[in-house]
Amino acid sequence: MIEVDQLSKRFGALTALDDLSFTVRPGRVTGFLGPNGAGKTTTMRVILGLDAPTAGRALVAGRRYGQMFRPLRRVGSLLDANAVHPGRSAYQHLRSVAQSNGISRRRVEQVLKLTGVDAVARRPVGTFSLGMKQRVGIALALLGDPPVLVFDEPVNGLDPEGIHWVRGLFKSLAAEGRTVFVSSHLMSEMELTAEHLIIIGRGRLLADTPMDQFVETNARSDVLVRSPQAHELAQLLNAHGATVTGDGDHGLAVTGLDAPAIADLAAERAIRVHELTPRHATLEQAYLDLTEASVDYHAGQPADKGTAS
Amino acid sequence: MATRDTLPVEPAPPIAIRLIDALSSEWTKLRSVKSSHWLLIIAAVTAIGGSALAAIADQSSRKPALADPVASTFLAWVEYPILAVGILGLLSFTSEYTSGQIRTTFAAIPQRLIVLMAKTSVAGIVALIFGEALAFASFLVRQAILTGHRGSIALTHPGVPTELLSGGLAICAIATLGVALGAIIRNTAGAVAALPALIYLPLLVLTLPHPWNDDIGKFTLLMAAYQLVSKHAHAGLLPAPLSLAVLIAWPAVALLAAGFLIKSRDA
Repeated sequence: MIEVDQLSKRFGALTALDDLSFTVRPGRVTGFLGPNGAGKTTTMRVILGLDAPTAGRALVAGRRYGQMFRPLRRVGSLLDANAVHPGRSAYQHLRSVAQSNGISRRRVEQVLKLTGVDAVARRPVGTFSLGMKQRVGIALALLGDPPVLVFDEPVNGLDPEGIHWVRGLFKSLAAEGRTVFVSSHLMSEMELTAEHLIIIGRGRLLADTPMDQFVETNARSDVLVRSPQAHELAQLLNAHGATVTGDGDHGLAVTGLDAPAIADLAAERAIRVHELTPRHATLEQAYLDLTEASVDYHAGQPADKGTAS
Repeated sequence: MATRDTLPVEPAPPIAIRLIDALSSEWTKLRSVKSSHWLLIIAAVTAIGGSALAAIADQSSRKPALADPVASTFLAWVEYPILAVGILGLLSFTSEYTSGQIRTTFAAIPQRLIVLMAKTSVAGIVALIFGEALAFASFLVRQAILTGHRGSIALTHPGVPTELLSGGLAICAIATLGVALGAIIRNTAGAVAALPALIYLPLLVLTLPHPWNDDIGKFTLLMAAYQLVSKHAHAGLLPAPLSLAVLIAWPAVALLAAGFLIKSRDA
């Protein structure tokens, strides 16, 4: 379990995290979403004791990270797959980190095999593709067989086969009862992996919700109607309580009335309808709407000018 | 959720175990990159090569025998390898800050002073052993060239063992100074530029008018090393124990600053 408690982090005039609180529970994959610059990496760095918060705290299994002895046995993490000395072999890289936490050579070989890096483990990491480095980073996170795992954008650079593998791995790690906390700026990525979502924007919590509930609450669905009498139809639907906005040539995006109700109303008044399509917003759309709102909200505040995108 | 006052306190394991973890990790890191090997090769070539060249020059010189054959050859060989060994020390931090690996290191060992101690010890011990080996090798090469010449001295000549030990010590001091510089500057190019500035620039005070040159000069790193072996210390130079203290104080002060910064800065 990871507890983030009223966390704030300021870098000079820039507020990266603003009174952020949430809890990541074991046994499921928790997606950590937000646009670039929302504060995901900073949050993870504070959790891992790398950055000191300006206020608040983060606890892993009830402890501050900085007070742990051999922490890799409790928390495994991958922040940046490129953060490896390019001249060192994957094996020596993992071995040196394993030694720092009293982890055996056998375990190093195990995780190299598990992540499919064993065949190239003696080659310098600098010669690896980003996808291969991600695998080395995931191997490193798994070194201590930890109950809590933190991954920052782990699918960057992975090929489709690698992405498929990572999804399965995260799910199986969660199924074993581990806490799996995975950040991404892409909703579509989380859609297939995460059961729970924590969404932040500009360092603030926007949503902390189960995946399906998030879709239900946030997904906007509407009906696309095309009619040569669009103007007339719009007035009619408005009169019946619908919200109508224009959508392309002769098109109307209608919310508040479902497709059968629109069809019946049009038939009653003999308005010709050429197209009637119920549309369900994707999860990506729901996420964009949510984070867009946070950006809009802040955009008017002069104090926020010049913050990172 | 635990409140602020009821965090479980983990009994701290003995510092020896934590140090052994960190030392074994740092030792693996040091020997698993080519740059370490190259730097030691460069140090060896410059030290032995420097001694050989100085010896050849002495052999063909018609000047009377040197008054202090021990001290006068000391700087000839120790001046060159210290740069390479200092860079070896600073790279232990800057290579990690530059690549971002420092975050993996601090996530693995959150007690950052332990990391500083381990990196300092590994670089320091490697430099000490290597430095002593270089001191002997340089001495033997020099004597082999000078065989039969009046400048030739035996390994048992008074002052020679001190010179050899001091050479290794000076190289160890520079390596640990390098580690501290790396932790402070965090950037390879910056630290590589700062290292020679710190070693050689203070020597400019030796060009000041007397007695300023000696008064300030004796506290420079290289002069401290030199004074350790100089048997004919003229008035104004520091006695050996004080020179040793100066030699240790340079890296010690830098390491204190590094320790403070490494704890207070975000990784």
